[in-house]
Parts: sequence; structure tokens; C-alpha cells
Amino acid sequence: MDIPSYISSGAIESYVLGLSDAAEIAEINALRLEYPQIEAAIQDFEKSIEKHALQTAKQPAAEIKQVLMARLKTEFAQIDPAIAEGNNDPQTSIAPVVPISQSNAGSIFKYLSIAAMVLLIASAGLNFYFYQQFQTANNRYSALLIQKNSLEANMNGVQTKMLDMYQSMQMMGDPAMVKVMLPGTKGKEQNMATVYWDSRSKDVYLLPNKLPQPQSNKQYQLWAMVDGKPVDAGMISDCSGLCKLKNIPRAEAFAITLETMGGSSTPNMDQLFVLGKVG
Amino acid sequence: MDLIQTYSEPELVLLLQQRSQTAFSYLYDHYTGALHTVILSIVGEEELANDVLQEVFVKIWRQMGSYDASKGRLFTWMLNIARNAAIDMVRSRQFQNGKQNRELNEDVYGAAGSTEKKIEHIGLRKLVQGLKPEWRNLVELSYFEGYTQDEISKMLDIPLGTVKTRLRSGLQALRQLLQND
Repeated sequence: MDIPSYISSGAIESYVLGLSDAAEIAEINALRLEYPQIEAAIQDFEKSIEKHALQTAKQPAAEIKQVLMARLKTEFAQIDPAIAEGNNDPQTSIAPVVPISQSNAGSIFKYLSIAAMVLLIASAGLNFYFYQQFQTANNRYSALLIQKNSLEANMNGVQTKMLDMYQSMQMMGDPAMVKVMLPGTKGKEQNMATVYWDSRSKDVYLLPNKLPQPQSNKQYQLWAMVDGKPVDAGMISDCSGLCKLKNIPRAEAFAITLETMGGSSTPNMDQLFVLGKVG
Repeated sequence: MDLIQTYSEPELVLLLQQRSQTAFSYLYDHYTGALHTVILSIVGEEELANDVLQEVFVKIWRQMGSYDASKGRLFTWMLNIARNAAIDMVRSRQFQNGKQNRELNEDVYGAAGSTEKKIEHIGLRKLVQGLKPEWRNLVELSYFEGYTQDEISKMLDIPLGTVKTRLRSGLQALRQLLQND
């Protein structure tokens, strides 16, 4: 942009004297921010107009000021901000009270700003209230979510157990299952277990009807008597419904002993709990 | 308060926006002559000029909140208020006197031709008389009589572009006169 020729175009004088149209004003408002020379030229011209006007000033009649001051009397601030604070000038203290109903731009702004302040405070209060409500709701929601998750987990467990039970029932009702009752041995008559032996697959299942809770380092072990000798048929762990144990092709009897955790190769006959013959 | 206080322009503006009577009194004392001269140069009659002057100070007082220092000096802003109020007064007087029925051209040439002995030749308007006639006429019509460039183009039957260029040359020349004054 050719700044010197813009400055000497008369556009600045036209702008300062209020003779420019809206587009020209917008243009120069942008240019004065961008080019310091243009800003300086505007200020120079403004100052020379002002200087000339002050030099050629012709004072009007003195009473105009009195009329004017009387006319604006109610619009002046009651405590003049130009006077130092603490001033006991009687003029200030007997200043007329400005009636509330008076409608000038100043008092409208005052009431508007008071109204805005009241609205702002009310809004801040509501914000706080709603935030609290939100926090409470959020906490309740989190608690419900946790509850729901644990219920869901419980239900899954119950469902799995139910399915196991259902399968166990199906097996018990299967006519191909050989049922072997294992009553309690002498001195342990209150104990009882049942072996379900699949005659096709030879898989052995056990239902521990009634066996005392073993110590934590002990575990029940099922034995199959094959040709008079005990054969390990599997460890009984905590299972819902039927516990699936080993595959035993042939056996005359089944027995359960309490062994150390993990089982033994030969049964501890002192700890024989139940015993039952096949057939 | 016999102390003669002077204020910087930002201080004065701030105090006026805080509705200070002292600041307003200072503003009046400081600028009333300059504004009075401008108004008188446009309306041409002392009594009328006094009425306009009073209205202009009321406007300045009440519109102080909208004054934007980044858009110009305080005096420039007040000068524009005074000029507009004076032109409005002339227009409404012309309307009341039925002058609006007169041919615009006749009015323009009548006014421009008979300005020699009028009270109007004071202040800036006096300076404008030193411009060469083709510029002077355009500055008179636009600045002191308030015609738009479009209106002037139609009145004088000169293309709008020429009006704009000549007016700007005239204003440029006015600046030179101001600097040499």
C-alpha cells in the first residue's frame, strides 16, 4: 500500500471532518491500526483542527452556562468524583437527591447493572445447587452400577451352578448309569456317598451326599476295588452336583478315604469313610 | 474550588463518564467558544446558535458513555456532534419556512453566491474562503451545509467521482491553510 499517497489523498481529512461514508470509515479504521503513519496523520489533522477552533473561538453569552448547569443539575453525580474524598464542601452535602424515577442513561445503566448483578448471584447460587444435585445423583449412580455388577456376577455363578445341577440330574436319570450306593462304614454310619458309573463310557461320577467337611490340608479320595486291589479313581474337590472323576473300566466296589491334599497311591484304611459294592 | 484544575483528556473523559459536575463545567469553559464558533458559522444567527450550543452540550453530556477514544480526539467527536446539530437546525428552519419547495440548485447557488457579508465567515469557514472556488464550493456544500456527495453530484450535475476527487483536493488544501494559519 502506498501510504504517502493515501495520506495526501484527502481521505484522512474527509474522515476527521465526518464526510466519509460507512465503507470509507471502515477502511480507515482498519488502516490506522495497521499503519502508524496514517494514525499519526489523523492525529495531526485532528490537533490542527482543534487548535484552530480554539484560536478562533468566540465565547457565547455567559448565561448559557447557568441555564445549562441548571438543566443538567439532576444528572450530575451527587458526590463529584473530581473532588477529593473526605471533602466537606457544603455544596456537595446539600446536593439535591436524584429522584428514583428520573430516567437518564446513567441511572438506567445503574439499574441495569444492579439487575445484572442480582441475576448473576442468583445464577451462581443455582449453579452451586445444581452441582450438588448432580454430585448426589452421580454418587448414587456409581453405587447402583457397582451393585448391578455384583448382582450380575452372582447371577452368572448361580446360573452355572444350575446348569451343572441340571446336567447332573440328567445323568442320574439316565438308565445307562449304574448307581452304586456307598454307605458309611462301621462307626461312621452317618456318612454316605453315591457313585454313578456310565456303563458305556465307563466314566465315574460321584455325589458326596454326606461327608464331613475335611480339614484344609486333607482331601477325600475315591478308590475302585479291582480284583481285590484298590485303584485310584480320583480326588473329590468342591463341585456342584456330580463330580466327574476318572475312567474306571472294571471294578467290584468303590470306597472313599480321607487322604492328605493331592491324594495317595495306597488308601489309608484307618480313614475309610464309605464303602459300597457294585451290583 | 477556586483552584484552576487542568485535566488530561483521558482523565476528563473518565470523570465525565462518572458524571462529574466539575469536569463538565471544565469541559464547557474550555470548549464552548470553539463549538459556538462552529455552530454560528453554520446557522448564521447568534440566538439560534445559542440554542443549538445548549442542545449540543446536553448531547455531549448524555452521550459521553458512547465516546470511543480510539476513534478520535474528544474535540473531534464534539465537533461532529455540533456540526450535525447545527445542520439539522438549519434544515428544520428551512423546512418550517417552506424553503424545501425551492429548487435545490437555486438554493445552493443563492447561498454560495451571497455568503460574503454573512456572520458565517468565522472560524474554519473563514479559512475555507481562501480556497479556490471549485474546491470552496464543494467544502461549503458538504461540510457546512451537510449535503451528501451524491446530492451535490446531482445538484451541480458533476459526476460523483469528480465530486469526490475535488472535495478531497479541497480538504487537502484546507489542511495546508490550517498549517500555515
